[in-house]
Amino acid sequence: MAPKTNGIGVQVEGTRICVVMVGLPARGKSYIAQKAQRYLKWLSIPAATFNVGNYRRHDSPSPSADFFDTNNPVGERKRRAAAEAAVQDMLRWFRAGGVVGILDATNSTKERRKWVIDRVRDEGVEVIFVESKCDDEALIMANIRDVKTTSPDYKGQDPEEAAQDFRNRIRNYEKVYKTINADGDEDDLTYLKIMNVGKQVIINRIQDYLQSRIVYYLMNLHIRPRSVWLSRHGESMLNLEGRIGGDADLSYRGDEYARKLPQLVLDSVGSDRPLTVWTSTLKRTINTARHLPPHYNQLQWKALDELDAGVCDGMTYQEISDMYPEDFQARDEDKYNYRYRGGESYRDVVIRLEPIIMELERSEDILIISHQAVIRCIYAYFMQKTQEESPWVPVPLHTLMKLTPRAYGTEVQTYKANIKAVSTWRGKGSTAKHEDPAPEGGV
Amino acid sequence: MANNSYSTAEIAANAPRYRRKSSTFIDGIHDVPEQGSMAPAQLYSTMSGRLFHSGRIAIAMVGLPARGKTHICVSMARYLQWLGVKTRIFHLGDYRRATVGEGGQVPQDYFYPNASPASVMLRQKILKKCREDIYAWLNHENGQVAIYDAVNPTASGRRSLAKEFAKHDVQTLFLESYVDNEDILKENARNVKISSPDFHGMDPDEAASHYLKRIEEKIPVFETMQEEELNYVKMINAGQAFFYNNVSFNYLSHRIVFYLTNLHIKHRTTFFVRAGPATDEDSYKADAPLSEEGRAYAVKMTETLLRHRDQERQAVIDEGGPDLPLRPLTVWTSTRLRTIETGEPLKEMGYKVRQRSQMSQINPGVCEKLSERAIRSLYPEEVERHELDPYHHRYPRAESYHDLAVRLEPIILELEREQNDLLIIAHESVLRVLYSYLMHCNTRDIPKLKFPRDEIIEIIPASYQNEAKRIHIPGLDPSTIPGSPEDIRIPVPGPPSGQLSPIPGMSSPATAEGSESIFTVRPPEKVVNKAKEMVADKVADED
Repeated sequence: MAPKTNGIGVQVEGTRICVVMVGLPARGKSYIAQKAQRYLKWLSIPAATFNVGNYRRHDSPSPSADFFDTNNPVGERKRRAAAEAAVQDMLRWFRAGGVVGILDATNSTKERRKWVIDRVRDEGVEVIFVESKCDDEALIMANIRDVKTTSPDYKGQDPEEAAQDFRNRIRNYEKVYKTINADGDEDDLTYLKIMNVGKQVIINRIQDYLQSRIVYYLMNLHIRPRSVWLSRHGESMLNLEGRIGGDADLSYRGDEYARKLPQLVLDSVGSDRPLTVWTSTLKRTINTARHLPPHYNQLQWKALDELDAGVCDGMTYQEISDMYPEDFQARDEDKYNYRYRGGESYRDVVIRLEPIIMELERSEDILIISHQAVIRCIYAYFMQKTQEESPWVPVPLHTLMKLTPRAYGTEVQTYKANIKAVSTWRGKGSTAKHEDPAPEGGV
Repeated sequence: MANNSYSTAEIAANAPRYRRKSSTFIDGIHDVPEQGSMAPAQLYSTMSGRLFHSGRIAIAMVGLPARGKTHICVSMARYLQWLGVKTRIFHLGDYRRATVGEGGQVPQDYFYPNASPASVMLRQKILKKCREDIYAWLNHENGQVAIYDAVNPTASGRRSLAKEFAKHDVQTLFLESYVDNEDILKENARNVKISSPDFHGMDPDEAASHYLKRIEEKIPVFETMQEEELNYVKMINAGQAFFYNNVSFNYLSHRIVFYLTNLHIKHRTTFFVRAGPATDEDSYKADAPLSEEGRAYAVKMTETLLRHRDQERQAVIDEGGPDLPLRPLTVWTSTRLRTIETGEPLKEMGYKVRQRSQMSQINPGVCEKLSERAIRSLYPEEVERHELDPYHHRYPRAESYHDLAVRLEPIILELEREQNDLLIIAHESVLRVLYSYLMHCNTRDIPKLKFPRDEIIEIIPASYQNEAKRIHIPGLDPSTIPGSPEDIRIPVPGPPSGQLSPIPGMSSPATAEGSESIFTVRPPEKVVNKAKEMVADKVADED
């Protein structure tokens, strides 16, 4: 079997982990599951989510609340069958080389948790429970309206009715729900319990490094609604010449973008609530941020600096392909892993961005003004792009992107400043020139 | 060697800006870092010197003696400093000792909630002195994380402490080590306090019970943390569980918790050895197997190591210690053939051997197979830049030591997590970085550390600072002993000093001590650690 290693060095050593979600509906379980999966895949760890609800939906597409009453034998039997089907698929996936499987269901009783442990441990897979516990009624209703009424169960139904039905469905679960180790007899389980969106956290019996890493990541998550805005710097003097890297000033058009950016951001945010602005330490991003309102807090991160092109810094693609023809080709073949002479690869950039991702996860509204390769890596994280795709994502100049993480994925909106700029995109295997990306490849 | 003659207490009380420097063979965790130096795994630097966009933080320890607080403080400081966060520990006990003077005692009621006015005054005076040092360091020396090591037994005391720090624009994170498991308590008491003359000649178990009882008498009131409005982490039974009350904390505190989930306070040692010589040592890419000498080396190293472990155990028994079985030994190698094959004899004997791909040697890039002269003539500018900063500079397509340190970070967390004794069989470049974490070396010195093949390095953790021991492997072919030929062959520049090698008085044995018979069995050598005397009273003291 291929060694299970990835660039950031999380070596998993044959440990396989089943992350079992626990908690009542509308506690952000799917969100947490989906985030964990995204993060692990970004770090090149094979991860997948098995949502019991999806298996159940297959049989009973739009059930009413009493389907979820534990006294309803038909509903109970169908839900058990769905859990069984999900677990079976997950185990099959583990046998095929999966490393972290996430079982997304309420798992709200001791008996059910015991059942999962028995099923999974037999296969030599470790179990860690992740519980989200919340008793803040306002937070719960907000989550229901935001997420559940758009859930496939309520397709085409009146939202208010849907919300009410959903609240009733939860009541059926509340009757049998037992938080982990409520009676003190689950103390030997490995678990993470997050209470009221991270106000209190209990971590119990972490067994290995990968588990500690997952826990660490989940502790940085929050489920308050927020967005992340991404923009490249305005066009630079070196962009005009088609040169990569460097630390140049903005061009005339780049400065025009900087002056237009505040309005673009305002239009996108929709209010004057302040964003926190993160730039790199290079002039072109700092200058792009300089016209933003003074009540926006601004921070400079070394980790947001452009991919270091080493000896090729400041060269055009043509010069690179003339001077280092083999390198130029090698980079096209495996752009993610290719490291410039004396510089960095995309993999290196992902490694140094990891603290940024952690910080992003725990922050609220952030506007990042950075560089092409760095934005690609951050974009890949939010959009679950593979290592083959991410280094080729077109990120045009003079465009603001708004990413909004939701329970079922990340929404993207783009705002064009309509200020002309050179293209800095080059297709795979193409000539050593910047070109316009194919229309369907647009972000 | 520690080249100072002060005691910690005197230093702490009288000279806030003291400069202390240990040799690389003594854990440098308590050294004052040099201005402007980058830490081994620091990802970036900032003007203010503070990282992770966190402000200034005081981590206030909470917990009775024998709860492993000092060990936690020191380990945490080691990790944070490795990441580049400017961290310093302030042991309140140092200030107490300095205030009451040599051989002095605090009044009996010093820790009592209803202490006499005189005791309260004394307490206030000592606290004030310590806090002033913390502020001075944060304000004038760009400090970021001050670890305040004290008992902090009461909720009211903790509330006012947080308020007091907040006034000075310092956030407070409390870190309680809570232990209700009797076995862990006794183990801690045994490990740390047994050197006290009070318990001389006593049965270790009895001494531990006595000691724990004395704590209860001395500090009768202790309230475990429950303050909802404070930021705190409660570490329960040495990391079995954590409770985290998060009011307003940030990335850095999560990172600390992440580290702590991997920390434990069980005693164990780490051994470092080089891989044996390979058939084609010149090539990084070739991944050659061990040569014949290499296989002979693997056998001799294994014999020496196992003999040493038996001797150590016997020595403990002879000194009246408990007759415990040897701790299990785990072996880590890289995924390179010569390290795997070096571990082969141990594997055949049934020891658990794990391959860690992150432990591959430093990538020499374009310098692979090049002689020093060739490198100098082909890359004169690179050589120049390398000489300015041998730790951070990377040759074309190569890795710098900094790259290597960042790559090894997960290994470091797993090293902390490991509970068995651990043998690491690796390349010299990897040993340099791992050693520098455990012994806290300056980045300038790391590329210069030497690990001759005829020695096993043993790192023995202690709560105040780690110690290293070198164990001679007798009877090796002298040609196999010197430094790693697969490294970049430019000698690291800089003035020669006693800090070049972790082995004092010994650089490369093949040249410097070539005349000495290699068949002489040198006894295991423990470096005399003056710092230990300096902390002897600290260890015996109830805080």
